[in-house]
Amino acid sequence: MVMACRVINKRRHMGLQQLSSFAGTGRTFLGPLKSSKFIIDAECHESVLISSTVRLLESLDLTSAVGQLLNEAVQAQNNTYKTGTSTLLFLVGAWSSAAEECLHLGVPISLIVSAMSEGLTSCIEEVVSLQVPIHNVFDHIDSTKTFSGLETFSGSLCPFLQIPSDTGLQKEHDLKDVASPSLTIYNLSGIPVKSPKLFRPQAEVEADKNTLQNPQTLKNSLLTGNHYRKSILIHSRHFNRTDNNQWINKPDGFLEQHGAASPHTYRCNDLVELEMGLSHGDHNSMKLVDEAVRLQYQNASMRQGSCTMPFRFDVSRLFTCCLPGVPETFSCVCPGFVTVVSISNSALIRELQNQPLRIILIEGDLTEYYRHLGFNKATNINTVLESMKVQDSSEELWTNYVLQVLIKFHVNLVLVQGNVSEHLIEKCIHNKRLVLGAVNSSVMQAFAEASGAVQVTYITQVNENCVGSGVYVTFWRSIPSDVMDRINIITIVIKIEGINLVTVVLTSPVTAQMQSKEDRFWTCASRLYYALKEQQVFLGGGAVEFLCLSHLQILAEQSLSKRNHICSGWLHNTSSWLASSLALYRSTVLKCLANGWHKYLSTLIYNTANCSSEFEASTFIQQHLQNATDSGSPSSYILNEYSKLNSGIFNSAISNKLEQIPSIYDVVIPKIEAWRRALDLVLLVLQTDSEIITGLGHTRLNSQEAEDFLFL
Amino acid sequence: MSRLEAKKPSSCKSEPLTSERVRATLCVLKGILTSSYGPSGRLKQVHNGLGGCVCTTSHSSALLSNLPVTHPILKILTTSMQNHVSCFSDCGLFTAILCCNLIENLQRTGLTPTTVIKLNQQLLCLCTSYLKSESCGCRILVDFSRPQTLLCLVRSIVTSKPASMLTREETDHISALVLRAFLLTIPDNSKDRLILGKSIIVPLKGQRVLDSSVFPGILLEMSEVQLMKILPIKKSDAFKVALFCASLSGDLSDTGEGTVVVSSRVSLENAALEQLLNLGRQLVSDHVDLVMCQKVIHPSLKQFLHMHRVIAVDRIGVAVMEPLSKVTGTPPIGSLGSISPSSYGSVKDLCPAKFGFKHFLHLIPNEATICSLLLCSRNDTAWDELKLTCQTALHALQLTIKEPSVLLGGGCTETHLAAYIRHKICNEPESILKDDGCTQTELQLITEAFCSALESVAGSLEHDGGEVLTDMKYGHFWSTQAESPSVVNWPDLLSRCGCGLYNSQEELHWSFLKTTRHPFAPQTCLPHEATGSANNLTLDCFTAKLSGLQVAVETANLILDLSYIIEDKN
Repeated sequence: MVMACRVINKRRHMGLQQLSSFAGTGRTFLGPLKSSKFIIDAECHESVLISSTVRLLESLDLTSAVGQLLNEAVQAQNNTYKTGTSTLLFLVGAWSSAAEECLHLGVPISLIVSAMSEGLTSCIEEVVSLQVPIHNVFDHIDSTKTFSGLETFSGSLCPFLQIPSDTGLQKEHDLKDVASPSLTIYNLSGIPVKSPKLFRPQAEVEADKNTLQNPQTLKNSLLTGNHYRKSILIHSRHFNRTDNNQWINKPDGFLEQHGAASPHTYRCNDLVELEMGLSHGDHNSMKLVDEAVRLQYQNASMRQGSCTMPFRFDVSRLFTCCLPGVPETFSCVCPGFVTVVSISNSALIRELQNQPLRIILIEGDLTEYYRHLGFNKATNINTVLESMKVQDSSEELWTNYVLQVLIKFHVNLVLVQGNVSEHLIEKCIHNKRLVLGAVNSSVMQAFAEASGAVQVTYITQVNENCVGSGVYVTFWRSIPSDVMDRINIITIVIKIEGINLVTVVLTSPVTAQMQSKEDRFWTCASRLYYALKEQQVFLGGGAVEFLCLSHLQILAEQSLSKRNHICSGWLHNTSSWLASSLALYRSTVLKCLANGWHKYLSTLIYNTANCSSEFEASTFIQQHLQNATDSGSPSSYILNEYSKLNSGIFNSAISNKLEQIPSIYDVVIPKIEAWRRALDLVLLVLQTDSEIITGLGHTRLNSQEAEDFLFL
Repeated sequence: MSRLEAKKPSSCKSEPLTSERVRATLCVLKGILTSSYGPSGRLKQVHNGLGGCVCTTSHSSALLSNLPVTHPILKILTTSMQNHVSCFSDCGLFTAILCCNLIENLQRTGLTPTTVIKLNQQLLCLCTSYLKSESCGCRILVDFSRPQTLLCLVRSIVTSKPASMLTREETDHISALVLRAFLLTIPDNSKDRLILGKSIIVPLKGQRVLDSSVFPGILLEMSEVQLMKILPIKKSDAFKVALFCASLSGDLSDTGEGTVVVSSRVSLENAALEQLLNLGRQLVSDHVDLVMCQKVIHPSLKQFLHMHRVIAVDRIGVAVMEPLSKVTGTPPIGSLGSISPSSYGSVKDLCPAKFGFKHFLHLIPNEATICSLLLCSRNDTAWDELKLTCQTALHALQLTIKEPSVLLGGGCTETHLAAYIRHKICNEPESILKDDGCTQTELQLITEAFCSALESVAGSLEHDGGEVLTDMKYGHFWSTQAESPSVVNWPDLLSRCGCGLYNSQEELHWSFLKTTRHPFAPQTCLPHEATGSANNLTLDCFTAKLSGLQVAVETANLILDLSYIIEDKN
């Protein structure tokens, strides 16, 4: 065993540089208009289409230590909140450059750490003023206003352009240096690919459906698509409120104004407004979420009757069923469990429908040799036959036994969490019993609750108490049969009175898109979940980030004049000279941190195609920043001007729809946590000075690398 | 056919310490350790280079256990440091750095190992007897009626590891929690001797640090589905508990070597299950309310127990077995055979709990000194470091209750001790030279090597290019930024000493730690009021630091004494 040790920051901080180059790959995922990327494996020529930070990092070679830490941070954010990963990735990049800049200016590392975390904490305290409380959004849920009503102008969100990689698009190699040598990232065109289809009139979308069949025409539509960039985008997360009076006129008190001097107070008590605000341009996914919430709400109010428990949106009782190859428009939401079964079951389903069925639920596999977790099979036991009587094979015996149990308890439907023996399935089809394997655990739980069935591990455990009843199986025919026949599957729905389970059927004509469609649905669902859970949201569209930026700039100015300040972190009760010299460097560090926000905002504006260059975006921000500072209170400036910001940029195309443009919201805790995680990661890497590689033989390091290493 | 290979001869190297390679590797090791030392220490990314998990740390136990060093001398060093850390948790880096410094400095004197070792030993005795004496100027007696001192100790340990990424508020929160967790492990009424309980650290990653908290009793993690199955829990005064460490999964116990032949009519699995169900029947007839198993319980047995309204919890893991047996007041049952009514224990109450995304079953004991510290952190790396730090702090508190003293931290103990030794040797060299046959010059050389080794440990706290100083009255440690103008008003430039006890506004004189100065007698006997009023002291665990000092000197002696390394090359 040899230990190698590498000094990371001899002259430049390698770790920080790696971080910012990794983060650079996700730049175009910031904001509501995400351009997708093809990732192509040069060795086996497989390619993936990705449109989110998480999937991007899954496809990159992140075996370096810093890469792994980055991946760990993004995964943790995604597993906990399912949103905020692009923000996290971008800020990691922006702040690692900021930290590097500070190092360059000679600020001691400990002071960068202290001042940056203090600065972010202060920002987080400051942005509380931009929180919008959510009040009783479910009070008006039965009113006629639904998400679909607002949908007319939204068109179809389709940020991907489904083009085979061989259609002769320009390659872009600018990201090659950060990917592993075996990976090349292509953008679909010279500029970062925008989403030209967003918010087009419905007719255009219809036209697109035709083009999908023909890659060649689609390519043309891509290349001509860019002219939409400026004129038709009416909804983005950033600053694009076009009117400021409508809010005050809202009958439902969406926004109130208390006196002339005080800033606007925002409130949200309408579910549709909230959903629109949280959709961040992805109306199609949010529409499905809206329908799912409404179904859950109806369900809950039916189950509870008069009892008034507050309704809780339960994401764990949502289930997605993906149907690739079916046109986009067939995506829908329906109560119960919708799933795909093989075509051989159709006769059986026809037989079983329209009658209440008895059900059992098996956790684990339903195969002969499956044993529960933790069971160790003895290996040295031989079984001998004592007579020469011809017997059935043991599998046959077992299958017959299972069938007997099913017959004995009149069970016609078996849901299994794990795998099911093929032989058993066939046998059951003959005996008019349906066995479904690989059923999601929350689906199992929902059926357990609604049918009274108890989940068991082995078929031998089944007794009368374990069997549930009242379940109905039928064909699910919301999609025209000619479409389904084309893709050669049948879909069924399994329902029971009062089941707390909603299936969201996601369809996409392009298989490569399925994954990201599912991802986007879950992102919208969890945004709404956290908004409802916390009962508050942020004013979105960059408002919070803008406040952070202006707040930090003011702090930086102040710390130049005021010397004694309380310091944070470990420095506060230390007597090291660092504590007393923090005041000298604070303003420098805060300015660098603020630059990170500035970069974030200008990239956001640029990505949403409000500006033709990042420079223009930057000037635009600078202008507002000046106004905000001049006004004396940036938070009231934002609250007052929020609706006016950017109004000069969009005007013509949308004037007839003004009253329908919603406010833009952001979730609170997931966002703040993404900031914190980003800064934590940067500071962790900043403070790291060497890399210790354990158990590495001399041979495995190539000679060039080995120069950097010291061996113990 | 067996093959015989000639044995390779063993290799023998003389004077191993003089080899250039050994010096270079020692220097690298020392570099790694010193750069990690203290609250502004730099972190190390430890990983296997093959995609294994990356551990970012500056904790001695994580660093030392992950350094698979090859050279025997380095092995001696790291092993003895690891021993120290496993016994005392705290002061691992201090010990290792001091040891490296001693080896380096003493070797440079060029004296014979015998002289060096003898005098080193004498100096160590001088240190320990001073630190233990009444007149010691860097030791504070802990007054348990005032938690402030203990809180300072915990906070010093928590802040010394930057990789846990705590803000000020979080540091205060965690320090208070650790102290609370420790206090919960002290029994209320102890007669003749005190037996401390245990704090179990329960991980909850991905949550905010401020969501961490402490609970009396034990939190058993369970899946939601599992927890739903055992709810609702029927109410009773106390729950009768059967705690198994044997597996109840229904597999056959070790069948030994060879092959077992059974008839096809016999099912061993069913026989084993039948045995388990018999056990279940007995548990039910004994009115047991809760069955817990370290390993797996057979689903059929679980179903049986559930039908009889007995709560069954399995796969609780070996880590909580000991605390569980303390909480329930019964040793775990190791075999399925003979279970007597005396094998059962009890808990006062059970309740389900949910923190973050995890579900727990909370066992509340009648009276026991077991508590659970639910520790949250945003990312895995920071959590791992935070866990190590909390464990260290809990251990330091345990050591402090045995030996109720703490040492001044922040480098002050080291510089003060060095000043004391220098002064002592200068004024009363005869106390050491009595009958050793060493000359005064030799003594002077060794003393200088020893004291500057101590002082440079203190100097290692500085990582950002600042200057370190010591005052000529207390011998405490002070730091200032580099390149201060030559004529400066020190009281204005400096604020407080390293431990925070003294401030610069007193009439003090300073000198750079690296320059030579006349030996002076540092003020001994800490005034009581001085320590009582100070709230933000940096403190070190007395027992751990004292042992660290001894381990460092003795390991250095051992390494200096090596004259041959004989290696079996086969």
